[in-house]
This record gives sequence, structure tokens and C-alpha cells, in this order.
Amino acid sequence: MVDILQFVILSTIRSGLYALIAIGFTLIFGVGGVLNLAHGASIILGAYAAYYASAAGLGVAGSMLAALVVPAVFGSLLYLFVIRRFEHEPIMVMILTLVTSVAVEQLVIELAGTQAKRVPQFLSGNMTIGGTSVQYNLIAVFALSWAIIIGLFLFINYTKPGKGILATSMSAKGASLVGIKSDRINLATWAIAGALAGIAGMALGSQLGATYHMGRNPLVLSFSIVVIGGIGSIRGSVVGAYLIGFLEVGVIQFVSSDLTGIAPLVVLILVLLVKPEGLFGRELAE
Amino acid sequence: MSSDAEAVGATGTTGETVLSVSDLDVSYGKVQALRGVDLEITQGEIVSVIGPNGAGKSTLANTVSGFKEFDGSVEFMGRSVADRMPEDLVEEGLIHCTESRDLFGFMNVDDNLELGAYRRGDVAERKAFVYDLFPRLEERKGQHANTMSGGEQQMLAIGRALMGDPDFLVLDEPTLGLAPVILEDISEGIDAIQESGVTIMLCEQNVTFALKHADHIHLLENGEFVREGPPEELRDDDYIRESYLGG
Repeated sequence: MVDILQFVILSTIRSGLYALIAIGFTLIFGVGGVLNLAHGASIILGAYAAYYASAAGLGVAGSMLAALVVPAVFGSLLYLFVIRRFEHEPIMVMILTLVTSVAVEQLVIELAGTQAKRVPQFLSGNMTIGGTSVQYNLIAVFALSWAIIIGLFLFINYTKPGKGILATSMSAKGASLVGIKSDRINLATWAIAGALAGIAGMALGSQLGATYHMGRNPLVLSFSIVVIGGIGSIRGSVVGAYLIGFLEVGVIQFVSSDLTGIAPLVVLILVLLVKPEGLFGRELAE
Repeated sequence: MSSDAEAVGATGTTGETVLSVSDLDVSYGKVQALRGVDLEITQGEIVSVIGPNGAGKSTLANTVSGFKEFDGSVEFMGRSVADRMPEDLVEEGLIHCTESRDLFGFMNVDDNLELGAYRRGDVAERKAFVYDLFPRLEERKGQHANTMSGGEQQMLAIGRALMGDPDFLVLDEPTLGLAPVILEDISEGIDAIQESGVTIMLCEQNVTFALKHADHIHLLENGEFVREGPPEELRDDDYIRESYLGG
């Protein structure tokens, strides 16, 4: 019974963070139709921004702000000076964002070395739920992830700029026909996706420390999650994240930790075989 | 009669040039879609561009509304459209209702209409006007656009365009594939739009429909204008009667 409870608690918490990581990735694909392989770089930048802010004595709130702002600015600049020129060439965007990702990793090695850096926790201490000890930090990460997901959902569905993002994701030409400036919408999307990845980077770093290669696994994970959920669907990303999160923890806890990486790939292949468009198709949000 | 009223012609026009196109060439790679096209539309007019499939009507519509690069001159309200984005032209009152409709399929009718007024205020007032024009849309206001019939989607596309408070409306194939009963609704809608003072460029394959509504008609074939004139004149043109009106 304790095992089951522990499984549910750990899976629920991990999945919330996975959803946060994947949403920014799906948002950029949904609106711009391009895959951002520099998504992992934003995660790295968020973690290191939080580390440097904390080292400068800015506290947890200052670290969170840095983790949001630095990757948001990075995403904006990347869009303005690189992606915008090639936004109708998805293959070129994949290559450019992959190169950018490698460049960011090299920059981090140059500036901070290869040793893991300590990223501040959102909250310290532990609590016991049904016999399972859970860090307050993990609960804070879970709560923050869901607050951001709900906030993003409300922003996109109930505000004018949010509806502009939604409209652009459904029909870029339709959006132009009603006067929505796709440049601004894309810029906002890259900034939002950067900020979401950045705060996810701080959350990951607060558990495992910040490293120059910490963005690689989340990028692969994001890819699996959004393909399973349906590329471009926020709802699909959340469902996909929970599917992967529960599967990963379940495999570790009840089968073998050696099979952790394989389980999501098996689901990915099954979904592609049975429902290639993903569980929730192409729509950005519902 | 007031001087304003005297300035308005028999068709409700004021003589001010809304769109001026001269020596227009447009190509898709090596294929030239429009060559040497000249066109002038004055305020309050409905000018129709008719022609068979592939003649270049949609290319002309897309060029006028800023979506296609061109050689020559295209001016809206005296300024070239070449230096303006389509979104800027929308703000200045040029609104294009495309052949493909380009609706927001996973949004309902209400949301589609509200987005039509993205750059405008007075949403409620304009929505009331659209619902008055097309009552069927109000009956379907909670329905997703991609679940509606072709005719209803066409009404929604025109309604969304009207939400932007156009001074100049480019209507590309509004009757394409529609049942006669829906055609009648669209027809009444276009009459009402013209009465509200909107200038219209109507690109149509349905020549009978164009003859009914237009003040002036241009026949486009293989990217060139080959006939032009008022509908009463073209209705009696042997070539148009034989080629487009079934003799």
C-alpha cells in the first residue's frame, strides 16, 4: 500500500515538471510550425541564471526571476536575429537551433566548468505523506508547475494576446487576415517558451544541480511527450507528460531502473502506430 | 440636394479612388500569373473580376491585400501596398475574405467573429450587425467553425471580415460550391454590405452572380484582362454569353 502511494506521489510530482518542460516546446511548434532544438539550452540557462543569482545573494525570489527572464530574453533574441529569417524553412530552423544548443553548452563549460552547480531549492525541509517522505521542494515544484500551466491556459484562452497566439496556431493566414501581427505573436511565443523552460531548469537544478548537459534529456523527453500528446496541443502535452511520468516511476519502482529510458519510447512507438497524430491531434489548446 | 449627396453617383460612389492597380505583373517562379493588369476602383463601387479557374483572380486578390510580391503599381488609398504588411492594411480598412476562408477551425463562431475585430473596438455593435445580416450564424454561435457546412463557413468568413469594419472588402469566390438557398443568403448579405458604404472587389467564377451585383466587371483570362464594362453591356457581349452564360 505504501509502495502504491509512493508511486502515485512521486509520479504526480515528476509529471507536473515534465508538463512544464514540454509545453514551451509544443507552443513554438503549434504557433510557428518549427521544432526548437534549443529548448534544452533554455533549461540550462534557467538553471545557471538561478545559480548565479543565488550566488550574488538575490535569494530564491531573485533566482526565480533570473530563471524566467534570462531564458525569455535568450528565446526572444534567438527568434529576432536567427529564426525569423528562416521561419518558413523548418529544417533550417532545426539545424540552427541544434547549433545554438551546442554553442550554449560550450559557453557554459567555458564560463562555469563541468562540475555541477548548486541551484537554490524553492523550499527546504521534508514532510511525510502516508509513510512516504517527500521534500517540500518537490511539492513546491509541483505546485509551481501547475500554477504556471493553469496560468498559461487562462492567458491563451481568455486574453486578447493569448487568443492571438491561439488563432495563429490554427491559421497563420487567417490571423494575418484579421490584423494579428505574426511577428509579434512568434516573438511572444519564443519568450514565453524560454521562460517556461527556464523555470523548469531551475526546478530540475534544485533537485540534481546545474550541469552543462542537463538540457539534453528534457529535450528528448519533450519530443516524446508532445508526439504522444499531439504536436501543438497543450492539453495533449499535459496528458503525455503524466503518461510518461507515471510510466517512468512505475518502471523504476516495480520493474527495473535499467528500463527507465525504454518505457517512454515503447509508448511513443505504440502511439505512432495506432494514432500517428497523437492523442489530442493538432489543436493548440481546448 | 446637399453637396455631399451631389458628389455621390448613381451607384452610390463618391469618385474617390480606393484601389489603383497599373501594369501589374505577378509570377510564381517562372510561371507568370498576371501580366499588365490595370484596375481602378472608386469608393462605394462593387467591381467584379470574373474568369475561369486558374485565370489569376485569387492571385490578384492576394496581391491587392499584401500577400504576394509583384512588379508594377498597387495603391490602396493613394499609398503603395508594397511597403505595408497585410496586417497594416487590415488596420487601414482593407480586408480580404479569401477563397479558402482561413477560419479558426477549433474556435466557435463567436470567437471567430471577435477575432475579426482584433484591431478594432465596438465588438458588440459589429457582432450585432453581422448576426442581423446572417441570422444562421447566431443560431450556430457556440459551434466550432470546422464542424459547419460550407455555406455557413462562407457566411462566417464574410462575417469575420465585416467585424474588422472594412472600407474596402476583397471577396474571393464567395459563392464557390454553395447550394442555391445559401447563395441567396450570401447575395442579400452583399447587397447589405454595399448599402453600408463598403467598397467591394468581387472575384467570381459565377458570372450570373457577378452580373447581378457589380457596378463594373473585368474579365480575366490567362492573367490578362480581355473584356471590361458595366454589367448591362457585358451581358449582351457574345463572347461572354457563349463562354460563361451558356449561350
